[in-house]
Amino acid sequence: MNKILAVAKREYIETARTKIFLFGVFLTPVLMCGIIFFMHKMQHRIEHGPTSAQAIAILDLSGEVAQDLSQAFREYNKANPQRVMTPTIYEADKSGGVEQLKRKVREGKFAACLVVNEAVLTGTEPSRLLMKAKKISDMQTFQAVRRLLRDAVVNARIRQRNLSPDIADEIRRPVPVAQVDVTEETDRLGPPIARIMTPAFLLFLMFLGILGTSQGMLTSVIEEKNSRVIEVLLSALSPFQLMAGKILGLGAIGLTVVLIWGVVAYGVALSQGWGNLFSTVGLGYFLCYFVLGFLMFSSLFAAIGAACNTLKEAQGLMTPLMILITLPLAAWFYIVQYPDGPLAISLSFIPPTAPMIMITRLAAQPDLSIFQIIMSLVVLALSVPAIMWAAAKIFRTGILMYGKQPSLWELLRWIRLH
Amino acid sequence: MDALRLENVSKSFGATQAVDGLSVQVPAGSVYGFLGPNGAGKTTTLRMIMSIICPDSGAISLFGNSSAAAAKHRIGYMPEERGLYPKMSVRNVLRYIGAISGLSRAALDAAIDYWLQEVDLSDCADKKVEGLSRGMQQRLQFVATILKDPDLLILDEPFSGLDPINLDLLKDIVLRLRDSGKTVIFSTHVMEQAEQLCDLILLINNGAKVIDGPLEAIRAQHSSGAVIIEAEGDTAFIADLPMVGAATRQNGGMEVILRDGADSQDLLEALVARVRVRRFEVKIPCLREIFVELVRGEHE
Repeated sequence: MNKILAVAKREYIETARTKIFLFGVFLTPVLMCGIIFFMHKMQHRIEHGPTSAQAIAILDLSGEVAQDLSQAFREYNKANPQRVMTPTIYEADKSGGVEQLKRKVREGKFAACLVVNEAVLTGTEPSRLLMKAKKISDMQTFQAVRRLLRDAVVNARIRQRNLSPDIADEIRRPVPVAQVDVTEETDRLGPPIARIMTPAFLLFLMFLGILGTSQGMLTSVIEEKNSRVIEVLLSALSPFQLMAGKILGLGAIGLTVVLIWGVVAYGVALSQGWGNLFSTVGLGYFLCYFVLGFLMFSSLFAAIGAACNTLKEAQGLMTPLMILITLPLAAWFYIVQYPDGPLAISLSFIPPTAPMIMITRLAAQPDLSIFQIIMSLVVLALSVPAIMWAAAKIFRTGILMYGKQPSLWELLRWIRLH
Repeated sequence: MDALRLENVSKSFGATQAVDGLSVQVPAGSVYGFLGPNGAGKTTTLRMIMSIICPDSGAISLFGNSSAAAAKHRIGYMPEERGLYPKMSVRNVLRYIGAISGLSRAALDAAIDYWLQEVDLSDCADKKVEGLSRGMQQRLQFVATILKDPDLLILDEPFSGLDPINLDLLKDIVLRLRDSGKTVIFSTHVMEQAEQLCDLILLINNGAKVIDGPLEAIRAQHSSGAVIIEAEGDTAFIADLPMVGAATRQNGGMEVILRDGADSQDLLEALVARVRVRRFEVKIPCLREIFVELVRGEHE
């Protein structure tokens, strides 16, 4: 056991001292926070930031809303002095028709042209906003103009019925609705985007935690094989002790990374008032699945590393594993929306995909059936030791083999060797 | 007591018979050479002794212990393919090797300081392994082997690639270890090195034993009965002496082949009676000659 710990300690210290590790651990969260912050800023800028004045042509075919529209534009410009839209109102007979306005939009004389439908007050046919849509900000213009038209039409309808302005205001008053999740004792609030991003974050955390450290395993084994230090090690240790020490040391690295990122993420969530998105039970599940997933993948990568002479050779054998590791990433959006769907359920019981799929489902749907959770843990608890045993067999034979790269068939044969 | 005993050990890799029914006894406190051409099965045998690979059949016992793995802590092994972690410092590499060999930290640090001093690497303790010259790395590798103060040292081609100064340093340490009661087994295909160091040898070819035993006995056994003589005066009478089978003159001297059963001492007495002897040398075949003769004999 002391020997295993000595191997684990070296593996941990030497990995933690590499530049890649330091960059990965500290720069990745900083980079991700930076990107999120930047996107947030950009979004805000697109929605609320200053734009140059936009000339909007308005062709009122109904002849009912021109007054109300220019009033609405005046109010909008007063409220948004940095995003002014200057309306030019054309009367139906003097405009030279829709075609001529279309041409002016195309030539860029107007940012957009609102063609108000004849029956706009009854609202059977849509009005049209003609624009050369190229930029995302054009969407903002479209939404703003549509909102102004709606206000103008409501005003016109109210006037048509001779309703008093008080009643009009009453009608227009917004009706707020807040979504409240009652699955747990304390209400789970927080924006829907956070509800989607939490599973994504946990999935990503597990993916990077497992993949990053498993790949560390691969390079570490191949390095020892290439530098021929392996024979010195094996004269003091059994291959089993060596592999166990490596798994332990790199597992500790993985937990360190997950811990650092988890604490950062929890801090961010708390500061945004979304602390309830994370729970102790959820953390327990995460650790269970992380440890099982890590043991499975790191022992498989150790076996591949032992069987190959170079990283390049290892790529070929890694491809099927990589597909299994990245499958949950490809499916996460679907899984988040249908955490109880057949795809989600079936992937939960396939050992290589189970940890990441289950953690995604648990975050997306906290009241997931306890039976399924236990079943998936049982499947993993049975299959992971079997996979590790097979990997240890391959490791033992492969670690001293130099020269020709073994085929998948030979690897399977090694498992049966004593 | 035997430090190592191999009984009828065999190992094959696929169709290749690497070691074929090999039996060896290595007495404790000796320097024992495993000799043989490249690919003779030396490294495979050493790896089996280290239980890095398992023999297909046969038994290996170390210090009377039937489980070789159980005696692992008493053996220091230097593999033929050498290497240490290039990015770690000299001291940390040795600390790691010591830790997985089961040494306590205090004993380890003392041993590291002592051995680095011995091989003249004290100044490099904090340098990275990759920053050392090739000769320095070889010396470091040797320290890594000897660090745990093993009773049995197994060195696979320990002298290959060493310059004369490092070679002497290492030979000196090996002989000192023998004198302090340790057992040293090393493999080599350079016969002169074996001649200088070994008490006993094993000669293997194609995985099987050709000959083994004390070096002196083997050489005497393969003595051709030739004597080199240089003497002042007329030496023509030598060819007619009763114990002489054949005599040929060569560069100022004479090579005499004795008859079967004849004693070189009688020849010397006969000579001293008639001429002044400048040189009298019973020709002992060098290991290289025995090796070539035996291996060639096997092929014929």
